[in-house]
Amino acid sequence: MSAPFYKYGLFGDEISLVMAFLIGIGFGFFLERAGFGNARKLAAQFYLYDMTVFKVMFTAIVTAMIGLYYLSVLGFVDLSLVYLSPTFLLPQVIGGLILGVGFAVGGYCPGTSAVSAATGRLDGMVFLLGIVAGIFFFGEVFPAIESFYTTTPMGSVTLPQLFGVSYGLILFLVVLMALGGFLLASWAEKKFAHLRPE
Amino acid sequence: MNAVVALPSRNGGFEEGPEMSILSSAAAIADHALHKERPYWHPYAAGIGLGLVLLLAFVIVGRGLGASGAFSSLVATVVHAVAPAHAESNAFYGEYLGDGSKSPLLDWLVFEVMGVFAGGFLSGALAGRLRITVEKGPRISTPGRLMLAFLGGFIMGVGAKLARGCTSGQGLTGGALLSVGGWAFMLCVFAGAYATAYFVRRQWI
Amino acid sequence: MLELTTTRHNPMIDPTLHVWGWEIPVYLFLGGMVAGIMIISGYFLFSGRHRASTQCSCFQVPLVGIALLTLGMLALFLDLEHKPFTWRLYTTFEIKSPMSWGAWILVLVYPALAAVAALRIPESWRIAFKGRLARLVLFSERIRGSAAATKTIGIVNMLLGGLLGIYTGVLLSALGARPLWSSSILWLLFVVSGLSSAAAFAHMIARDPYERVLLAKADNGFLIFELFVFALFFIGLASTSEAHLRAAQLLLGGAFAPAFWVFVIGLGIIIPLIVQLMAVNGKIPHTPMAPILVMGGGLALRFVIVSAGQFSHWMNAHGLPLPF
Repeated sequence: MSAPFYKYGLFGDEISLVMAFLIGIGFGFFLERAGFGNARKLAAQFYLYDMTVFKVMFTAIVTAMIGLYYLSVLGFVDLSLVYLSPTFLLPQVIGGLILGVGFAVGGYCPGTSAVSAATGRLDGMVFLLGIVAGIFFFGEVFPAIESFYTTTPMGSVTLPQLFGVSYGLILFLVVLMALGGFLLASWAEKKFAHLRPE
Repeated sequence: MNAVVALPSRNGGFEEGPEMSILSSAAAIADHALHKERPYWHPYAAGIGLGLVLLLAFVIVGRGLGASGAFSSLVATVVHAVAPAHAESNAFYGEYLGDGSKSPLLDWLVFEVMGVFAGGFLSGALAGRLRITVEKGPRISTPGRLMLAFLGGFIMGVGAKLARGCTSGQGLTGGALLSVGGWAFMLCVFAGAYATAYFVRRQWI
Repeated sequence: MLELTTTRHNPMIDPTLHVWGWEIPVYLFLGGMVAGIMIISGYFLFSGRHRASTQCSCFQVPLVGIALLTLGMLALFLDLEHKPFTWRLYTTFEIKSPMSWGAWILVLVYPALAAVAALRIPESWRIAFKGRLARLVLFSERIRGSAAATKTIGIVNMLLGGLLGIYTGVLLSALGARPLWSSSILWLLFVVSGLSSAAAFAHMIARDPYERVLLAKADNGFLIFELFVFALFFIGLASTSEAHLRAAQLLLGGAFAPAFWVFVIGLGIIIPLIVQLMAVNGKIPHTPMAPILVMGGGLALRFVIVSAGQFSHWMNAHGLPLPF
């Protein structure tokens, strides 16, 4: 085992921030390349005539998931040292629904709005202001909703642990699901092509 | 597109395009082509790139990508600067402020998101896609779109904090790590968005 | 042995130094940028390149330079301990004091900048003052007509600009108490950085396409050269003493590494350099964001050097950093 490098002390906190910047550049670069700096491209996902969001997101998930699994099987990465944020099921379900509404209304998510603002999109900049306002609002009402925020804690739990099956099986099912999804997405793009605005 | 522009100037002649007989027209075409945006990458190519960046983050620092956390640090910093006692009494801000030994802006996600801005700018610049504009459908006014953008951002800020992360932190990262919360979150994001899409269709199509 | 140690621990031997806040970095940045502006517009006048277009930015940027220098001196003034006695700087000239050199260079810089600006009275001023500037306009046309006069003004600006840029670096180098600053090429770093900021600014506001590309190319050259100077700066520090090595590590991997790598090198040099290299090769259009990033990087450089310098320490006899 020699990775994650940071956890094995290859570099300190200061250099980890430099790494964060470099990794962020890669993240922003590919988000922009995919067209995610453009709200029309992102919102098209919800009218089914352009399924880029789904395709990019699931390709990325599958790539990172398989890569990480292989590296851990090879003994290069210690999977237990990769930070997995704990699950609080109910707040995450409700939060996800709210966030989805915001996605359709605003046309971005936080990462993509950063990219859109960086490429000059005014709606992206305004969206960022909205996020900051929303977080401030959440922070101010937090004492009132703190008990809900911490309900249904499940700890740092993965799907294989939840269903009691092997990591490889879930991985295989996710890949199958993604491939099926890609076929379905391409079919939907043809079927709903008429919705694409001029 | 790019090759057509670059070749004439590189060769000094116009072998590539016999129809460009006079210099001024070639220059005009070159100028026009310069301001033409290059097409986006194929979704699967961009997805693999994104996946490799995520994998790199796992391998190098042992954590995934994120975005909304950086804005939380920003909000917590500002609130703390304006009303220190108020911020310190609030558990949400407290999580980002830490023990006060260093600035909450010296944070992994803050630097990562600065990188996202830089990377997005770089990619946009190299593809000729930098433009001061508003992205919207043909049936909505610009002020209307900006108002909805603010509203959407506000809703998303609340949702992302309730869910402990956004599409990057929970969806992408949690998804790749097969996190239970991450997958539940992601399915709900799509559910929420598809349920809302009909009501805001005038904005987009 | 004991005596040696205790004397070095005596706070009267190494007195506590005044802590510099935002004022000094801002002043050093603006001073460096004005130095760059003087060298660049001086070069345009000296080489006769200002004749290439009727709206050469070399006549406009000195006006901006005057404004920037005034802002910078205001920042410096705010930092001074004894503000009512500032005038006393001008009652003497101390040859061994960089502060005194600077005070007098600054006095000469204003008329030099004004001379360049006066070579071409801006169109908007002529309209605003409705012919009342007629005599001045006539005078400036006559000077501009004389190649010898414009060349002289150009040379004077390049010389004074060089002195001003060097002084912003020497001001720090002269303070031996800070290992990070006691580098013999800090002045070069600040001059090159000032030149790149000035070229970026002129490139951003230049209207003539030929001039814009020329300035962007010059800026790219300065940025690449700046990277070399950084390398030399660190090699120099690393091969001087333990205290200097630790000072260099403050930037390379220590407390100031995030600010240094991200703001100075990443956002301030590498990213605008990539974009500007593509732009001068005609692959993509020019964007004002690149020069803005270059100038931001120049400001960040002064902040990082000034604050990290105040963090860098000499060692006591035990090889430990001194406690201030």
